This record gives sequence, structure tokens and C-alpha cells, in this order.
Amino acid sequence: MKLIYSTGFLIFLLLFSQGCEDIVGGDINRDPNNPTAVPVSAQLPAFQIALADEYGGLFSRFNGLLVQQVEGVARQWSSLNSYTGLTPNRYDASWNNIYENVLNELHVARATSIAQGFNHFEGIIDIMEAFTMMMATDVWDDIPYSEAVQGVGNINPKFDAQSKIYTAINMLLDNGISKLSGAAGGVAPGSKDVYYGGDVENWIRAAHAIKARGMLHNKNYSGAMSEAMSSFGGAAENLGYQYPDANSGGPWYRFNDGRTGDIEFHPTMKKIMTDLNDMDRLSVIDVIFVTDASYTASHPFIRPDYFQELVTYREMQFIIAESDVRNGGTQLGYDAYLAGIKASFEKFGLGDAEYDAYTAQTEINPGLGSLTLEHVMIQKYIGLYLQPEVYNDYRRTNIPELDPVSGPNVPVRWAIPQTEVLFNSNAPAAGSINVFTDRVGWNR
Amino acid sequence: MLHIRVFINYIRDVNCREKIWIVRNHFSKHNDLFNGFFNLYLLIKCFFIKIILNMKKFTLLLLMLFSITVVMAQRTITGIVFDDTGEALIGANVLVKESTLGTITDVDGNFTLEVPDGASFLIISFTGYETQEYDISNTNNVSITLSQGEILDEIVVTALGIKRTEKALGYSVQQVKGDEISRSGASSAVDALVGKASGVQITRSSGSVGGGSRIVIRGVTSMTGNNQPLIVIDGVRTNNQTLLSQAGTAGTAASNRLMDLNPDDIESMNILKGAAATALYGTAGASGVVVITTKKGALNQQFDVNFSSSVSFDNITQMIDLQNIFAQGRLDGNGVPFHRDPSTGESGSWGPNIANLEYSNDPNHPNAPGASAFNAEGQYKFDRNGFLVPKGTGDGVSANTYNNVDPFFKTGNSFTNSIAISGGGKAASFRLSLSDLRATGVVPREKYDRKTVKLASTLRPVEGLTISGSVNYTKSDYVRVQQGSNTSGLLLGMLRTPISFDNTNGFSPADAVDENSTHQFSDFRQRNYRGGGGYDNPYWIINKALGVEDVNRTFGNVNVEYQFNNWATVGVNVGYDLTSDSRKQDFEIGSRTNTTGRIRLDEFNTQQFDYVFTLVGNGQVNDDFGVSYLLGANIFSYNNNRTNVIGTGLVFPGFLDISNATQVTSFQNVIRNSQVGFVGQIEGSYRNMIYLTASARQDYDSRLGNPEDFQLSQTGFFYPSVSSSFIFSELMNDNSVLSLGKLRFSWAQVGSPPPNSFSTQSVFVSPLVGDGWGPRIGFPIAGQSGFDQAARLGNPNLTPELTTTIEVGVDLRFLKGRLGLDATYYNGTVKDAILPASLPRSTGFQDVWLNAGEMTSKGIEITLSANPVRTSSFDWTTQVNFTKSENIVTELAPGIERLFLAGFNSAGSYLVKGNQYGAIFGGAYLREGAGGADDTSLNIPGGAVVINDNPNSSEYGYQAVDPTQRAIGNPNPDFIVGWNNSFTVGRISANFLLDWRQGGDLWNGTAWALSFFGRSQFTAETRVESPTAIEGVLSDGTPNNIPVVRDRNYWTSSLGGFGSVGEQFVQDGGWVRLREVGVSYSLPKTKAFKGGSIGISGRNLWFNSAYDGIDPETSLTGTGNGQGFDYFNMPSTKSVIVKLSVDF
Repeated sequence: MKLIYSTGFLIFLLLFSQGCEDIVGGDINRDPNNPTAVPVSAQLPAFQIALADEYGGLFSRFNGLLVQQVEGVARQWSSLNSYTGLTPNRYDASWNNIYENVLNELHVARATSIAQGFNHFEGIIDIMEAFTMMMATDVWDDIPYSEAVQGVGNINPKFDAQSKIYTAINMLLDNGISKLSGAAGGVAPGSKDVYYGGDVENWIRAAHAIKARGMLHNKNYSGAMSEAMSSFGGAAENLGYQYPDANSGGPWYRFNDGRTGDIEFHPTMKKIMTDLNDMDRLSVIDVIFVTDASYTASHPFIRPDYFQELVTYREMQFIIAESDVRNGGTQLGYDAYLAGIKASFEKFGLGDAEYDAYTAQTEINPGLGSLTLEHVMIQKYIGLYLQPEVYNDYRRTNIPELDPVSGPNVPVRWAIPQTEVLFNSNAPAAGSINVFTDRVGWNR
Repeated sequence: MLHIRVFINYIRDVNCREKIWIVRNHFSKHNDLFNGFFNLYLLIKCFFIKIILNMKKFTLLLLMLFSITVVMAQRTITGIVFDDTGEALIGANVLVKESTLGTITDVDGNFTLEVPDGASFLIISFTGYETQEYDISNTNNVSITLSQGEILDEIVVTALGIKRTEKALGYSVQQVKGDEISRSGASSAVDALVGKASGVQITRSSGSVGGGSRIVIRGVTSMTGNNQPLIVIDGVRTNNQTLLSQAGTAGTAASNRLMDLNPDDIESMNILKGAAATALYGTAGASGVVVITTKKGALNQQFDVNFSSSVSFDNITQMIDLQNIFAQGRLDGNGVPFHRDPSTGESGSWGPNIANLEYSNDPNHPNAPGASAFNAEGQYKFDRNGFLVPKGTGDGVSANTYNNVDPFFKTGNSFTNSIAISGGGKAASFRLSLSDLRATGVVPREKYDRKTVKLASTLRPVEGLTISGSVNYTKSDYVRVQQGSNTSGLLLGMLRTPISFDNTNGFSPADAVDENSTHQFSDFRQRNYRGGGGYDNPYWIINKALGVEDVNRTFGNVNVEYQFNNWATVGVNVGYDLTSDSRKQDFEIGSRTNTTGRIRLDEFNTQQFDYVFTLVGNGQVNDDFGVSYLLGANIFSYNNNRTNVIGTGLVFPGFLDISNATQVTSFQNVIRNSQVGFVGQIEGSYRNMIYLTASARQDYDSRLGNPEDFQLSQTGFFYPSVSSSFIFSELMNDNSVLSLGKLRFSWAQVGSPPPNSFSTQSVFVSPLVGDGWGPRIGFPIAGQSGFDQAARLGNPNLTPELTTTIEVGVDLRFLKGRLGLDATYYNGTVKDAILPASLPRSTGFQDVWLNAGEMTSKGIEITLSANPVRTSSFDWTTQVNFTKSENIVTELAPGIERLFLAGFNSAGSYLVKGNQYGAIFGGAYLREGAGGADDTSLNIPGGAVVINDNPNSSEYGYQAVDPTQRAIGNPNPDFIVGWNNSFTVGRISANFLLDWRQGGDLWNGTAWALSFFGRSQFTAETRVESPTAIEGVLSDGTPNNIPVVRDRNYWTSSLGGFGSVGEQFVQDGGWVRLREVGVSYSLPKTKAFKGGSIGISGRNLWFNSAYDGIDPETSLTGTGNGQGFDYFNMPSTKSVIVKLSVDF
């Protein structure tokens, strides 16, 4: 009797083991909410917004802090302001955004675009990659690139020399321009391109603008000038992302929303502008950084519907002016200098009257032959308010002259982030880089 | 929980069975696997719910059961019970054999009992005495003498509900009885366990009413996965998860789901600690198992009604010390403090001494604030008395100081009423209990209501066949406030508020709660001390940023057992657990976390099904050898389906509904897994002296499966265990000293799958954009959707983790059980632990799931129990539970030294190689020796603190900052001791429980932040201290001689709040605590009722701790793995509870 029952029970167990695969197999372990593959058009908006957000986010805040356009006055930002809080872990978030949310996505998207022959996608991706790598190498010098973003394929990417990264940047830009100059091939980016809505001409102009910026860093002034001339014809062609509204507000709006009172306008910049009688532009930005209905309208940089620029017409005009001044100075450069100032007034929401009054001053408008590098760089410093590029300009030219908040001088680079030092055996050892003395490649 | 709703609609219909198909068809879309069982479950549930709903029929059923007992012919037995010294025994249990019919002896040792005619034996028992059976077939008047004995052969419930004699166990099991649970006064079963068993650590996460607790048995077993024990109720797995709507360090307090069980329904809780004890549960039991047996009616039991009612009064225990001297403000260019008015948005309390300030209402005063500080009528908005100006320049009315903290909190209350009805006849028994808990928190508007219904019944239709089952339904409702690291967090704004600002705006604390003008101006802007920026006014939070949760849960089981003979009993136990948790979190327009307003709807539906099939048997082969065996199979499935809807950008204030949002985003998140396990166990015994048990289990777990290329073998894993016990006292001659001596030994392995579902694949996700400093934004953005690769890489090659544990123990009982010592030592290793191995981000990813970790654990547990005094008039029992456990992380992935668990940038909880689990890791002072030979790991070097002696530095004379973050604290206690005592004098009994936690660091983030704002008492003292050199050495190694004052500059530097150094705020979180104390009186039996008790007890009434903040029993991250963080956490509460219990 018991034998029968026991045998019966064992058969029962056996039946269960037959059913095992049904119970633990199939799609049970497949994530129903997240896909394993997506089309390139679904990726493009994500990494475009991620890049704009980083450029207008930590890059803008840290660099603006270092060149004393803004001042950290409360909580973590007060110790960041005095440089003592600029420990390697503070740079983790930027590094993560650049490698994980931008470069890594660019590589996947490029592979998909090439495989499917989507030339315009590929061109945009190349130009964005060039921009991204330049923004990274300008603050971190040598960084992983040739072995980067391979996942577990290479868990210790080597650090490439900055000069090699710039070589790659130029190749990317050339390839981008050539891909965008041809047919779209299959699907065109269209509205999925949240920067330009798929406008190929603007992308090609932007590629030249990025080239100009890079050549300027590397002291190729004639090259920078000619690339800048091939770039934007007006502010309407600026490369950037238009944030829609308070539900998805711009980076400075969101920072200030969450961290009201941490960062305010800097007295140094106020003094520079006051000395130049730059009161109209000053009155626009010299207000308490409060995110509030009554303030957002008047502060053009803390608006939720902010247009976060990556590279602009006015920057190009100042590049032309600088290159020209360095070469002795001609009317071309002088006109560019004034065009840069004019574009800046427009960015600040000011009109011709204010511009005319300002440039009527001989201190601002000294006449051809009297225009100095100082003139150009000071106007670029003001005109590119909160654009991370001003930190590069400051390091290249030491204009404007700044008193370091503490210590011997203003930091000349960013530290390699802590997580990279900890987890990448090819990263420079902790403490081996001095952010006050170890300048980046083009700045040595 | 749609199908429940559908179901409820149908059960009203008498024709239940037909409708089930409709329900099933609906359900099958979601879960195809268990249709058959689900039908079974529906049928059974239908049956029970019909009973409950059709009260008429139910009353009938009760009457029927009642009549079974009354119809039986009865006779009356009277008797008296003595001990072997001839003293009458008070309170001895007298029970009719094979029934629950019984009584207890009165103060003279007498008893009277009505017994059914057929009854032939009484069982008389009393703690510490040998139980005796007494033949009453021929007598109605008995006199019984009990001899002091040894209750050495207790029956304990082990894995899969198997009852075994404690002697036979080769591992440690500890039982906590139901009356100890209800005596504790805790409304949650987990809280009630504190101090009552060794090897168990329980941490209540928050003083918020309805906040959960974390329970860990023998330290952690998983590096990143669940470390809380499996909860098994009546043989089936039950959900004790904590679901968070906001992960990490912000959000509301969260419950652990075992709180849904009414503690009064618990018969006993058995703690199965080691791997050998839990081997039969497999993977799920790897972190220990709490086996809960609930109360059930017994056969042949008189109809019994128990009613109990309790009321509690709760207050906060301890708050951090705040300064009440210095006003809102900062220092001018010359270092002179000046007042800054709320409209400036000033965050700090670095202003002048408040004694030097007075009020003014003159808008032309040179210190008058800007126009935004005045309303349309020209009145100052922020204080009725006016704005503050230096003394002598205003209207002569001295500035007030306002206590914004203590008066805000109120006395919380809870009222619990429960009724239980039980009874049983020859073939069937039942117990029905209903309970109702209504609690309000110490924070106004916080609320926790819980209603439970439980019906348990047993049917024995024929000899050998037992069908039993239970149905529990719980409805829990919560109203919660935001807390923690969160600008809408209650204590964050409250504690930062300067002493010169009045959050109540002149109202009394009670009136302020309902008064809109405390926190909102007429133009809808927020009234707070930072002019509308900064942090929410506490009165804003409790009115405009509340979260509500509505939990509907049903769980239960059906167990069918048939015993063919001693050698074969076959059993099927089917358990289900369905939880619907529906939440809504409001943020009115103007809330600091979401200035445009935000509404979050979050719904979690959790389904668990557990099927256990067993074949067991046992018997004696001959006089010397006994054998028992078990064969079992187990199927378990888990499904959690979350739907989250977020509406932002509200159109107008005052209407907190999703329809008022201009942007609505949503996501769905399904987590599911299933397991099949086969288990076998065989036990041999020799002369009841040597026991040897071997078990083996084969599991298949879906979480190891790769859906692209599924192979069953990949999901399977096998692990064995052996355990043995040796009763060496059997070899000794009977002696009066050592009554029992037992050695035990076990070796066991447990395999574990990946902690998360879906870790074998890499996916794309819809990302959140941002850098963490402000709100992140999610797609769709301006109509565009977006996807990127998830930061964590999946790994199709994952293999199970393997834990191997050796346990040795000794169990000694002396003097016939009046003194007992139970000690255990264990040592275990987790190999191939699955963890997200950090990658450098230049790889494009944050981490990858990898079998990479290794961790060792070891510990000692000692339980010492004694009955030092036992006379007929006075009884004292005492028990000490000692717990020491240590988990060391020995290996992370190759080359990786640390792994983030939870917390902040300046101080977080990490796995750090060579350190204890969850080490607090963060910024440290620079010390001599950094980078040298003694700095091979991330520990703090041993040398003296180096002082910054760069005169250009803004931190000249302060401690220098170590550029490398280090392990700065260990949140794990050195040991825990619980000391339980109970005393009985006649009808009065008293008890107390001391809870001692030695060590265990806590990062005092509250003190860290408040130092920045100059709000903590400490900063009031240091800002006026005379210049002193900080202890340390200069860069040339000589002692520091640079005098500094620790003023605003110091506390806002790297060394103070929000600075990069976290070390100075790591504090000892140990305590000695009077966890429980109580007195109760047992009511004499009368004609009207059978007995009962009335008592008063206190919980957490006193503690002593070196921690400089709130009660250190707190956890910012709730029940999660990252422990040891206090950042504006809700303080814990102390309670006084009065309870009445009556039996009819």
C-alpha cells in the first residue's frame, strides 16, 4: 500500500520536473518594460538633450564659478567656490554624463546608422561626438577615447593624449560634413533632431564653428578665422536646444529651483561691467537668483524655456575678432568685434538703443588700430556669460585678470573624477594631478 | 488589483462558480502559469468570503458549531493541584486531552471543569513542572501532585512546518510565544521581536506612525540583495517587502508588509537562524526564516470569545540640540554679524545675538527690508511684531525667540480593538478574529489605520485527513509626511528655521495646524523663513505636501494532509498573498521640491503564490534506531506590477488632482520571478541520543534564465546540508545538576539566484536627464520620447551565489531546567556573490552584474535563561539574549575596492574591501601616513591629523582634507543584548526588557547640515570660543600652533556642513534602552467571563546614548541595506499602552 502511494508521489514529482521549464523559463526573465534594442531615432533626442543639459549644467556652473561670473554662496557651493570643495568626486557626475549618457549612446547610434545607411544621422552623430570630446578634453586633458565605451569589452580604457583627441575631433567633423553634404539615405532625422530639426545646412555651419573653436584653442588663428567665417551667419543658426517649459525647464532654472540661494551673481563680473559702464546688460543679470514667476521673465538665463546654446554666432564673431587682432587688426575683425557685442545684447534681451549707447563709448569702441586683445576678450567674457567656453578663454589669455578665491591661482583644469581613478587601472593615480598647476595640452 | 475588484463584484452573486471563468479569463492575460491553482484559490476564497458577507448564514454556522459543544453530554470535574513540596499551584493548566477544553487553577490550587462525557484524561501542566496525564474515567474529584521537572523535550516548528523535538535539532532555533508578542505593546510583529531572540537585529526606521522596521538574522547574507528573513505564515511564504515610491534618501516613511498581520493572531514565532535550519526553504531562506504560526480553533473546544482593547499614547523621544541665541543673518565684511530678514532668502543663523534686537514697523528705518517683505497694505508680512532692527533703533519691543520644534509635535494616539471567536466540534474548528487599529502620529495629520479579518478553520472529516486553511484580509491606510533629504522634508525646514522666525505666524501650535496663513500668503506664495525659497514650512508640508497610501491585502493558505500511517503523510499547502498598494503624493504649487506643483499616483500590485507538496514519515526501525524522511516539491511565483503616473505643472492651486496637471508622464514596471524546488531530507536517530540529518535541494530559478537562449540547466542549482545533535547527558548518570547536555553541529550550503529579476539582459531605458543638483527631467520632453542604454549591464552568464556555513552549538540545562545556556558559534562564507561590479564610466556603463563578491560572516549567539525564584507566591524568570555578528567584505570584483549601497557623496554606505558590511565611507581629515605603507586600503591612516598651514588658504589653521575618501565608520553594532524579565505575584505579573546595543556608528547628517546654518547648539558655543589651535600637526610635522575660532567660516568650509569631510559627524549610535516595561493583573474567572487581564505597559520609555541627535534607532534609507544614516530623520517615539483583554 505505502509503496503504491510513494511511487505515486514520485511520479507526481516527475511530472513537476517536466513542467519546470514552463514555470521558470520562457519570457519570465525578460524585462517587459525596457527594450533590448531601439531605433536610432528613439536615441537621438535622449543624447541631444543629455549633452545640452550637461553643457548648460555642471559645465556652465563650474566654469562660471572658476571665472567668477557666478559665486557659490551656500551649502556645497560655498566650498566649491573656495576651491577646497573641488575634490575629485565632485566631477563624477559630469564625467558620467559625458561617457555614459552621450558618448556611449553616440557609439551605438553610429553603428545602427552606418548599418542602415542613415547618412544624416551619422553626420549629426559625428559632429556631436566631436563637440563632446572637445568639451571633455578641454577640462580634463588626456582622457579615454580610442578604447572608451566598449562596456565589458575593455574595462580599463587607456587615456589618449589630448593631441590625438583633437586629431580625432577634426576627422569626425570632416566626416560629419561629408555625410551631411550627401543624401540622407533611408530615414532622415527630421523632428527627431531636437537641435536643428534635421536642417543639414545648419549642421554643416555648426561643424565649422566647432572646428573654429578647436583651432583657436590650439593657436591656429588663421584656421580658426576661416572656419568661423564658414560658420553661422546669424544668431538664428546657433547650435543649441530649446527647453520647452517649466515641466522640462532649462539647466539653470532647474538648478535654481532645487538649490535656491546656493549660487548668485559674482561681484567680480559686476565690477568688470560697472567699470565699463555696462549698466544695461548688468541690470539684466545682476539680480538675486530666485526661481519664481516674477523673476524668471526678467532673468534670461534662469528661464524655464531657456535656449541652451552649445556654440554660437557671437562666439564666432569674437573668434574672428581675436584672430584678426592677433594678426595686427583689420576692419573685418573690428566689425566682427562689434557684431559679437550686438549679438550679445540681443541674447540679453536688449535692443539697438542700448547697444548704440554702449558702443558709443570710446572705451568700448576705440576705433580700428586701437582695438586690443583685452577689448575682445573682455567683451567675449561678458558676451558668453555662463557659456563654459569662457573658462577656456581665460586659461588661454588670462583675461580678465582674476583674484583667486583662495590659494595661489585659479585652478587650471578639472580633476580626474574619483570613480574613474578608483575603477580604471589606466587612470592617473590619485593625487598625481595638481589642478592648480597641471595645465591641459593646448594650455601648456 | 483589478481582478479583486472584479471578483468582489461577482461574489455578491450566489452562483460563484460560473463567474470564476470570467474572472479567470481576465486574469489569464496576466499570468498563464497558475490558472489551475488560481481556480482552486478562487473557489476557496469565494467560499470564505461568501461566509463573511452572508452574515446570516455565518451566524447559522456559528450556532451550529456552538450547538455541537452544548449538545454534548457533560459532567463536572473538580480538583486541586499541588507541587511536590505540598504547596498549592496557582495558575496550573488543566486541559481535557485531545481538546482545548480547559481551565487554570485558582489561588488555592482548585479548579472546576465541565468535561464531555467521553473524556477520559486530563492533562495538567505548569511551567517548570513535568506535565502529567490524569485518568478521570472513574472519578469526578481529583487531587494531583506535579513534580518539578524538565521541559527539555519541547516540540518546535521547523522548516516546512515540520514539528520536531528540540533535542533532535543540529542547529539553533528560538521560539517566541504569542503572549510575549502581545505583551510588548507593539502594533507590528517585527517590532515586538526586539530583544527576544539572539541573533536577531531589528531597527525601526522612523518615528512616523506606520513606519517600517528592518529585521536581520545573523547579519547580512547578500551583498546587494534582500537581507531580511523569509516570513512564513502557516507554512507558506508571506510578503514582508518595503516598497518605496521615492528611492534613497528622500520621501515618506514606508511600511514593511508584515505590519499587516494583527499581532494578536500570532500563536508563536520561531526564528530559524542558520543555513541548516533553513535548508528546506532553499534560496528564499538564505537570510533566515521567521516561522509564524497563527492561532486557530481546536477540536472539541468550547465556544470562546476574546475581546481586547488597548490605547496608547506616543511622544517623540529626543531631538537634536538647537541654539536659541543667534538670529537669522550673516557676517558683514568686517566679520560683524548682522540680521537679514526672511525676504532676503538668508539660510543661516549667523546673525547677531537676539538679545540685541528689537522690532520696528517703520518702513523708512535704515534696516527696513525690501518692498517684497510688505503686503499691499504696507504691513510687514513675516512677523506680526515687525521686522528686526538693532536694539535702541526700533519700537522698544524686544525680539522674541520662537521654539519651532517641540510644540509642533503632539501626542500620538492609537486605539486598538480586537475580537476573536473560536470554537470546535468533533470534526471541525474555527477561529475568527477582527481587529481595528486607529493611530495618529506625533506629527499632526499623520495617520495609520489598520483593519484585519482572519478566519482560520480546520476540518477532520475522516480519520487521517486534515484540511485546514486561513484567510486574512487587511486594509491599511496611511497619511504620511515627507522626510529626510528633501526640501519638502519635515525636519529639514523645521530644524533650519532660525530662532527669530515663527513658523506658526503667531498662532498656538494646535491652531496653527489648520491655519492657512501660517504657511501661505494671500498671493499663494509660501510663507517660510527664506522668503518662499529654501525649504517648506512644516505647516505647509502637513497641509499641502501629504502622501496617502491605501493598502488592500489578502493572504492565506489551504493545507490538506492525509496520513496513511506513521510512515507516510502526504500534504499539499497552497498559499496566496495579494497586495494592492495605491498611493498618492501631493505637492501643491509652491512646494519647494516642485514649485510648479506635482501629483504622483503610484500603484503597486504584488502577487505571490506558494505551493508546497510534502511526503513525510517516521518511525522506529528497532528499539535503537529511528528514521524519518521528507520528500518535497515547491513552486513559488512572485509578480509585482507598478504603475506610476506623475502630473506636473498644475494649472491653479487648491486642486490636487491629476486633471489639473499640464504634463502627465507615466511608466510601468513589472518585476517577476518564479522558482521550482525539490527537496529531500532524511534523519536517523540512535537511542534518542544521537541524531543525524541530511538534506539536499535542487532549485530552478527564473532569475538565472537567459530569455534569448533559455536552458533549464542554467537556472538549476543544487546544495546539501548535514546536521547532527548529540545528547551527551544521556550517557551520564542521572544527576540533579545537569539535566540536559547537548552538542550540535551543522554544515550547510545555500545557493542563491541573482537578487534582481532581468539581470541577464542589457536593456534600453527612458532616462532622466540631469546632474543631480536640481530636479531631473524625464521623457517625453516637448513631445519627444527618448531612450538610452541602461547604466547597468546585464550578464547572461550569471551563476548562483553559494553560501557555506558551519555552525556548532551547545545546549545545557541545569537544575531540572531552571537554568539554561544555549550558545552557538557560526562561520560562513558567501562565494560568487552576485553584485553590480563597478566599471569606470569611460566604459560607457556604471556597472555590470557579476559573480564577483566574497564575504565572510561569523558570530556568537548566547541565550541564558533562568528561573531564579519559583515559589507558589512569587515567580521570576529571566532571559538574556546576546548577539554578535560580523560580516567582512573580502572580495569585490577584481581591482574594485568599494561599492555604493546608499547615502550621500560626503558620507555613504559602501561595501569596502576588508571592511565590515555597509561601512560608512566618505571624506576624512588628512593624516600623516596617507599614501604610505600603512595606507594599503581605504581605512583611515593611523597618523596625526594634518593642519592646513597654507596662509593663502581660506581654511588656514583648519584640518586639511584627505583627497581620498575613506571608510570613516562602521554602522554594525559590536554586539546586542536583550535582557527579559518577568515576575508573577499572585494575579499580578510584571515584565521589563532592557535592550543594549553596543557600538554601531551613525552619520549625523543633521548635525552636519545644521552646523553649516549655525543652527546647532554646538555652533553657538564654538563661534564665541577664544582662538585655539586645533589638535594636529603642521605640514613639517610640528604640533599645530595656529589659533582659530570655529565660526561661520569654519562651519561653512570643507570641515563643516555640506563640506567634503564627513568624518567629524560620525558618532557612536549605541544605546541602553528600556524597551519594554509593564504590569498586568489577571482577572478572576466569574460566571460572566472566563478570565482576562488588564495591564499598562511602556515601550521605549528611556534610553541612554552618546549619540548627539535624535534617538539613534533610526534609518534614513528605511529597511534597505544601507544603514547608519541620520539626515533630518523623524525622531522615534515612546509609548504608554493600556490594554484590557477579556475572555467570554
